Amino acid sequence: MKASSFRKLKAALLCSLVVAVGYTVGGPAVAAQKKQQGANQAQATPSKKESSTSGIDPKDPSSVIYLDSAGRPAGTGDPGKPASVAYKAGMGWHPQAISASGLPKDRYGLVDWARLVRENIISPKASLDPEEEEIPPLKMDVVITAKGDFVNDVIYPHEMHTYWLKCDVCHPQIFVPAKGSNEMTMVGIVQGEWCGRCHGKVAFPLTDCNRCHSTPKKAASK
Amino acid sequence: MRNGLIALMLMLTVPAAAGAAPIGDIRLDSKVKSMRKAGVGPVVYPHALHDKLYKCSECHPKIFKDKRGANNMSMKMNMDGKFCGSPNCHNSQRAFPLYDCIKCHTKVGAK
Repeated sequence: MKASSFRKLKAALLCSLVVAVGYTVGGPAVAAQKKQQGANQAQATPSKKESSTSGIDPKDPSSVIYLDSAGRPAGTGDPGKPASVAYKAGMGWHPQAISASGLPKDRYGLVDWARLVRENIISPKASLDPEEEEIPPLKMDVVITAKGDFVNDVIYPHEMHTYWLKCDVCHPQIFVPAKGSNEMTMVGIVQGEWCGRCHGKVAFPLTDCNRCHSTPKKAASK
Repeated sequence: MRNGLIALMLMLTVPAAAGAAPIGDIRLDSKVKSMRKAGVGPVVYPHALHDKLYKCSECHPKIFKDKRGANNMSMKMNMDGKFCGSPNCHNSQRAFPLYDCIKCHTKVGAK
């Protein structure tokens, strides 16, 4: 047992010695080679740099996407970076434009489209097709009772929804048009079923619970 | 004998010196009947996880009384901006929103 471990130690020592000798022998030569390579690169880099700083070659047909309408390099002239500030602004909403518009917002800072309608700030056309008949909004609130004892019930306003949408957007595919025949759950809605088909995507998100869960339960204890 | 005594003393004093003993998960199931109706199970609150992120005084005693069973929490209270749904907590962008049922409730969707 002891002898074998000693042999192992010996082998390891030998190995390390070989590595060390190899390094001392090969080290300087390799370093010199690297130096030469570096020099070559140094020689090569200035020309590369020149081409990137001087901009894109307007005569090269592949560079046309980087040029503005006058044929000059657009934005900063560096294709590796965003073209301009406008690019960054276009990444999301236009916060300045939204704040300047003075549109009413909910407590999460999102435009409150329902309030826009109620306060007659906007009045969109029913359809792009002038021939199409305008259907007046359906004034019908549906009480959807929350399953838990402590959560407020939901009052679903048909009026606000039919202002924007036609009946067949939701019925009968998303909601069966009969009271009590839709087994809705909050878990399902979060996963994109029922109300979650629109809310959280194109309509206001689910974050503000009380916006829908608005009427306290009659029998609810505190 | 003497060694045993010292060990015993260490066992008693070390946790006290290190502050309050760490609190593990807290099971919130006083409203389990209502939860079952809503298709969710009890909440297992990871106290240790919140311990790491916040000071005790950020929650206790203003938002939560630090006594087990003393806070009559409900989903409605959370929605109204109390307890977990406090304006700087799960009713803001700092933490995941209240509608992520599955993050707190166990047995979500089970019947």
